[in-house]
Amino acid sequence: MITVWHYLVVAAVLFGIGLVGFLTRRNMITMFLCAEMMLQGVAINFAAFARYHGNLHGQVFVLFIVAVAACEAGIALALFLMLYRRAKTLDVSSWQELREVGVPPTVDTESLPPVPAEPADPQLSPAGRKPAPTAEETVRV
Amino acid sequence: MTLVAASPNPPAAGQLALAVLLAAVGFFLLLPKPRGRSVAGGTAAVLAAAAVLGAWAHQRFGEPAPDWVGKLLFILFSTGAVGFGTVLVVQRNPARGAIAFAFVILSTCGLFLLLAAPFLMAATIIIYAGAIIVTFLFVLMLSAAGGPSDENDRTREPLLGSLAGFAFVGLILFTLSQTQDSVTPAAAADSADWKRLSPLPAPVLTPEERHTLAEVAGKLDEVGRDSFYGDPAVAGTTRQERMTLLTGIEQALEDVVGKEQGTVRPGSIESRLAGYRSDLQARAVLERAAAVRRLSDVLEKKVEPMVGDRAAGRPAEAQAEVRKLRDEVLLLHGAGDLPARNVGNLGLLLYADHLLAVELAGTLLLVATIGAVAIAHRKGAPR
Repeated sequence: MITVWHYLVVAAVLFGIGLVGFLTRRNMITMFLCAEMMLQGVAINFAAFARYHGNLHGQVFVLFIVAVAACEAGIALALFLMLYRRAKTLDVSSWQELREVGVPPTVDTESLPPVPAEPADPQLSPAGRKPAPTAEETVRV
Repeated sequence: MTLVAASPNPPAAGQLALAVLLAAVGFFLLLPKPRGRSVAGGTAAVLAAAAVLGAWAHQRFGEPAPDWVGKLLFILFSTGAVGFGTVLVVQRNPARGAIAFAFVILSTCGLFLLLAAPFLMAATIIIYAGAIIVTFLFVLMLSAAGGPSDENDRTREPLLGSLAGFAFVGLILFTLSQTQDSVTPAAAADSADWKRLSPLPAPVLTPEERHTLAEVAGKLDEVGRDSFYGDPAVAGTTRQERMTLLTGIEQALEDVVGKEQGTVRPGSIESRLAGYRSDLQARAVLERAAAVRRLSDVLEKKVEPMVGDRAAGRPAEAQAEVRKLRDEVLLLHGAGDLPARNVGNLGLLLYADHLLAVELAGTLLLVATIGAVAIAHRKGAPR
């Protein structure tokens, strides 16, 4: 039998991975998904405690978490749309002028790897000689 | 160092620290960056961290009873959730990240099902399927097509971020193991079966007690019938058999819930729960056992005299009390389990106990809708 401790360990690890993603990634959509993953970790916690204590209050709490996550998703996606309209990018660092006074800006020193050039269209080498048009074809052209 | 010194098992704490370090290094190597990203090294470090952590959890929390199907499903779903979560965090392409997130949700739903929450499973799948599709639309609409970009190929402070996140996880897990030590009774810590004290579901009743209670309920059914009090020649049971039945019930109840005879003699439920658990559920079970104990008097006082002589008592009254006792025994038998009608009971709880919270959640959704419309509304001419 799996004990409540095992579920708590899985929930903590899921929450931590989401936290790392939220702290480090710069794409706003990925950050949003990482936050949702942290919420899932908390939901596992509540469901495990509901099972452990033999009542349904924990499951009710998960339902409220889902409701709050839906609100969060609506607001977050609307914000992404607005921010993208202004900055034409999903990068959160393009909004770093909102940082605290006295904090130095982050500057990207390393350049991105160059885009690999698209392969040129294939060229067929001419084979044989060019046929001379017949009298009929000349008339048609 | 006092933290580690407080741990009864320092090697286990070291194991945990090793897992945290390996995971942080693995995530640092795996997170996208222009130079120095190593998928092979990062994957190896993350897998090693998962193995060390799994060994730690197995050693620390163990498995109390062999249940191969449950264990296999739990390992499958938890590995799926953690693995796809890792893919979501380190994946450069946000569209692939959304697919990984869908698998995280599916694995979580499997865990919900193992935790006896089928309605949560269905609701989560339905709601998050919609959420993931909307996210996909946004990725398709807003992402630059092809080529490396700032938002996908750079990360903020990958080393510090992953160290901070996994140090947090390590502290939570360390606290968990400390907590388990403190809730385990010291007397039982040395014995082999101390891990049986906190498995899921909470062991307010052992399987043997549950079996006994089910049998008693079946026998009480018989005692509650009219034929039990009728003429022995018609009913087909002798008085001796009836007495044996009654004595069997009394004996079984005395073993499980105890007996009230001047002073209360505790049964097996009391003697087991008194030392180990002090939560609401255990208290409710103890109260229920006390109710059964009080009601069980009826057998001795009202039913037994009637076995010899029907006219010695009032059969209708005795029958009603026996039925009440049977209901209480059945309720005690079901204690410690979640109700089988998950959806119905969840709805009852939502609208009976948490009505105000439901209303507030509805208001929150309304405000969020208005806010989303207000934020995304394009004022005036497009820039």
